[in-house]
Amino acid sequence: MVEVDLSQPPFTLLDDAGRERIRQGVDLAYFDCDEIVLETGQAGENLFLIHKGEVAEVDPTLPAARSRIGHYTRGDLFGAISILNGKSRYRFRAEQESLCYLLPRALFLELCNDYPPFAEFFRQTLAHKARLLIEQRAEGGVTMAGFMLARVDECMREPLIVPAATTIAEAVTTINERHADSMLVEGDVGPGMITKTDLLNALVVEGRDRDSALDGLGHSELITVGPGQYLFEALVVMTRHKVERVVVLEKESVVGVVELTDVLSYFSSRSYVVSLQVEQADSLEALAAASRRTPELVKALMAQGVKLRFAMGLLAALNGRIMSKAWSFQVDERYHRDSCLMVMGSEGRGEQILKTDQDNGLILADDLDWPDCGEQMQRLTETLIELGYPPCPGDIMVSNPEWVGTVTQWRERIARWASKRDGDSLMKLAIMLDSHAVVGNPVLLDRVRDELFERCAGDELLLSYFARTILRFSTPLTLFGSLKRPQHGIDIKKGGIFPIVHGVRVMALERGIRPTSTLERLDALAEDGRLEPRFAEDLGEALSLFTEMRLKQQLEHLDSSKDERNPDRVVVQELSSLERDLLREALHIVKDFKQRLSHRFHLEYS
Amino acid sequence: MIKVLRRAADRRRHANGDYAWLFHPYTGDEMVVINTETIGSNSRSAELASIAAVKVRGDRVLTSESLDLHLARPVSSSGESIRIHGSRGMDLSGGLTMTDALERLLDFVGNRPLLGWRLGFDLAILNRELRPRFGFDLPNATIDVAQSYLRRLRRRHPEVETAPRFEKVAELLDVPLMGRHTALGDAVTTALIYLRLEHQAGALGRHS
Repeated sequence: MVEVDLSQPPFTLLDDAGRERIRQGVDLAYFDCDEIVLETGQAGENLFLIHKGEVAEVDPTLPAARSRIGHYTRGDLFGAISILNGKSRYRFRAEQESLCYLLPRALFLELCNDYPPFAEFFRQTLAHKARLLIEQRAEGGVTMAGFMLARVDECMREPLIVPAATTIAEAVTTINERHADSMLVEGDVGPGMITKTDLLNALVVEGRDRDSALDGLGHSELITVGPGQYLFEALVVMTRHKVERVVVLEKESVVGVVELTDVLSYFSSRSYVVSLQVEQADSLEALAAASRRTPELVKALMAQGVKLRFAMGLLAALNGRIMSKAWSFQVDERYHRDSCLMVMGSEGRGEQILKTDQDNGLILADDLDWPDCGEQMQRLTETLIELGYPPCPGDIMVSNPEWVGTVTQWRERIARWASKRDGDSLMKLAIMLDSHAVVGNPVLLDRVRDELFERCAGDELLLSYFARTILRFSTPLTLFGSLKRPQHGIDIKKGGIFPIVHGVRVMALERGIRPTSTLERLDALAEDGRLEPRFAEDLGEALSLFTEMRLKQQLEHLDSSKDERNPDRVVVQELSSLERDLLREALHIVKDFKQRLSHRFHLEYS
Repeated sequence: MIKVLRRAADRRRHANGDYAWLFHPYTGDEMVVINTETIGSNSRSAELASIAAVKVRGDRVLTSESLDLHLARPVSSSGESIRIHGSRGMDLSGGLTMTDALERLLDFVGNRPLLGWRLGFDLAILNRELRPRFGFDLPNATIDVAQSYLRRLRRRHPEVETAPRFEKVAELLDVPLMGRHTALGDAVTTALIYLRLEHQAGALGRHS
């Protein structure tokens, strides 16, 4: 018998015999700091009750800043959902040394069977968690959560109620005055609905007089919703009953009307609709249609003045969803656990706002037997091209067998690149550094990246070679510190974005920093003490400025396809004086950063 | 030396007996923490009050597979021990006889390696009762957690002389005490201390 604190729910739902069974049945286990208690996709074998320590629940497919979904401390339970669902949806990681009681799966299920309230508790927490998750996503503005969370009362109109004695002529006048489409008529059995069409039919088809009362015209069997219901549900109700408006009832009295047109315009003004389309897509065509709408979404976001950082996060999540949908259409489910599709380059950093090109690779588990892998990957690449991701000019795609491999093969490749150190290998290392798992089992990618950090982080010579590329493009500033003004414009991708992204990447490699997004890396470097917080923030701002300028030009480029100008080039003469100042300041920060890096990695003589 | 000779003699004598399997080398990955509560603190005269054992597999303490045996009231139940353990004569009534208890212990432990806090004391008492009844001492491999802790402590702080107390060690290693002065509680705590020590040693090994 061990002391387990069973005085908290859900254990209070058991009787003494049940609690005694738990006492007899639990084991104890220690988990280390950062040890993974339960991996994504792993089968749930135990219910965990924390005796001491802290455990975080992490969704590894999300960017690091938002990936922490839950947090458990002393006395908390987790793992029930993985038992009930068969496998864990997320990763549980110990944040401190944790001592957990382990309640075996079989015993847990037995208890659920014998004590229905106990089982009910876990069903409830399941629902509770799902709701929390949606709310959290809504805060980040990602996916359809915000759309799903809009409620009926946010979108309803005042009801227009008239007495039964009103004449048709009066009714028409009232409707016109109030810009309504319908009205409610008081009747003996409660209010009835009259639409414009009803009035028209009464006058023309039935030949009623203009001055006859509305009596008997309305439809008394109203289709209703509650004010607290989701707008989404109202839409479903309308579709099901083939009507264009529903009445909102609160405690038997009419409080409003929701019109179909209102609902639709409410949704279309929201960017969520694209996310929704992606989620609902059940065929490639539908997915492609949704995918084509992302530039619109970007425009809408930029017009609303959304911070670039959040827009990038949203787009990265969206692209990830599109890819994983495409993946699930193409790839057999049984391979999902033993393979991992990663995106690399700008997409891996979550900084690709418009679809520029696809950089992706595939990691397979060592013992996976997948005979027609090459064929399926070829198809996946083609599918992604159909979805609007142009092929990569450097052929960094899953259709290329060089970017497909088992964990061991990948580790060998990394070792080879790290020892070779020529331009091509360094580029490939840089690409791998930015890799991020989109679908499949993220552990595989972690293993490959472990090798990368282990092999490269301490190798000063390699780091120096690696850093050298930042000096390849000069900063477009004159000797006196003002902007250069060539006729064809300055290249902000080479002159501004690349040095920051690459420099930060090198520093992240040196310090073994895991996140892939440049802004997150900057945060981590500042925390690490490698950069002063102030300077890190400046660099982040500078990067945002460059990206925004470039994005603006890219969007214009999309609109007018005849414009042949390279969207990376900014013609200084066309900028306002404020923009020019900002650009100059930002480029000075880049110059400063390059100097620091060349000092740190001894690039002065190369 | 004498111990080794004795074990060899025991093994030969029991080669065809019921307990021959106890003398086989163990190949599994489990260990058993044993702990006894006694009346009296002298290993020659103290009497067993309860015996607890819990299995450890990998990094888990299998509290679901544990043994907690209370023995029938022994002949001598002096006032002194009642003050220490709060166990009066009546608490000890209704327990098992010594032979039954030892039989169950042997079945549970098998040939797994034994762990314990100051294991020598527990073994001395158990063996004292075992030998007249079964004709052998516990032949298992043993690890004294107190000893291994002390060894580690000395390596780091050579000047330390005092032997660490059980509660103090648990506190230093940040291990919760699972019910002091019950045989099973102490056994579980010992198991946790052992896991911590093993783990730290592993971590050190990786770093150096």
